[in-house]
Amino acid sequence: MAPAAALSAMAAALEACSAAVARQAAAWRQALAGCSPPLDSLAGLAAQMRAAERLPWGSSPLAAFGDLPERLWRKQRGAAEALLEQLGSRRAELRAVRDAVGAAVASALRLYEERAAELGLEAALRRGPRCPSLADALEGLQDVERHYRHLYLEIQLFLLRISCDSLADMETLPQAWGKMLERYKEDVVEDTLLKISLFVDNHQELCSSEGS
Amino acid sequence: MPLSKSPGDGTPRRPVLPVSARKIKDNAADWHNLMMKWERLNNNGFTTANKIVNMKISEQFQDNKMEIACDNNATGSEKPAPKYNEELDNCCEELLETLKHMTKIQLKMEKLTSTAKAICDLEAFHHRAGNCPAPFFHTWPTPYFYEVSLKLSEMYRKELQLKQTIVQEIAHSADQDLMMVYLSSWLYQPYIENSSKLLLEAMLLETGHRQC
Repeated sequence: MAPAAALSAMAAALEACSAAVARQAAAWRQALAGCSPPLDSLAGLAAQMRAAERLPWGSSPLAAFGDLPERLWRKQRGAAEALLEQLGSRRAELRAVRDAVGAAVASALRLYEERAAELGLEAALRRGPRCPSLADALEGLQDVERHYRHLYLEIQLFLLRISCDSLADMETLPQAWGKMLERYKEDVVEDTLLKISLFVDNHQELCSSEGS
Repeated sequence: MPLSKSPGDGTPRRPVLPVSARKIKDNAADWHNLMMKWERLNNNGFTTANKIVNMKISEQFQDNKMEIACDNNATGSEKPAPKYNEELDNCCEELLETLKHMTKIQLKMEKLTSTAKAICDLEAFHHRAGNCPAPFFHTWPTPYFYEVSLKLSEMYRKELQLKQTIVQEIAHSADQDLMMVYLSSWLYQPYIENSSKLLLEAMLLETGHRQC
């Protein structure tokens, strides 16, 4: 039965894709968690830089150190740049996840395109009481790919906008970061992994019942 | 890791170093070890200074609350006497102790610089006829070791002056901006320029403590 062979090939491809997405989701979470400490430090640094800006140096006990404000500012700026570099490394990790997920999903979709005629539309759309269709699983994968692509773009924009010239914004970075992430719940990833696992389990059950 | 003062090893051209060269090599190792110790003390001092500032801020908060309570009770003009804070006192002692260790280190740095000066003077005396002496190691003429020592020593001298002011004032300030500037100045050490690391590494490379 040609559709059965094609379905088995699709189930195997989905299983492999799902494993890759799960691995990449863990790497994504780790990279995201790695962004929080430097963002907190940047906020702290901004508070220090603003305090230095507000301070009436001439009437403070530090008045004797005439070049201190400029020296301190230069050091603080250097520290901010080091933190931005750290964030740049995390951004590269996030981009790698986006690319890996994109490649995994594209390979599953390519296989479907190759076997689409063999499978037929009916087999692709067939749902069970507890089982999503192949089309549902593939759609879920496309949602996952879109999720990482869009969130990566937002993160990239967020990080590129950080500047020592707007200290007030820099001070609220952790809150702004949290708000941005809130808009992108990872439910879509979990849901899709569940869909695929149901689809694969159902397919295996069908195969074993047909075999016996 | 501290560098050991092993005479005569690792130098490329001469298996046995002349006394002056050995002294310069030992001085380079001392510079490395003293700068590492300074960094450790700076970190410890920052932790203590941070505690002091946090205590001062919470003390101010408590005072404000009490003032509001007194105003509400309207019992008279008597203000509660400031409470002796043992923990704050201990932290101040700790910070003073750290500063004492840093002062000792800075004195040792001054001594290293005067040793380098003496080596230069001795070399000038030996070669007073005018012929230029060959470098002890790779390319550095002996006065360059003195120049580097002097530059480093000056940076640490000014930084110590700043730290002395901070230690004197930090527990007596009520201005939060000023306290924050004290903390930031302590942490980022504005008078120790970024070039200090480069100068040290260059000296270690020249004297054979570091390999190319």
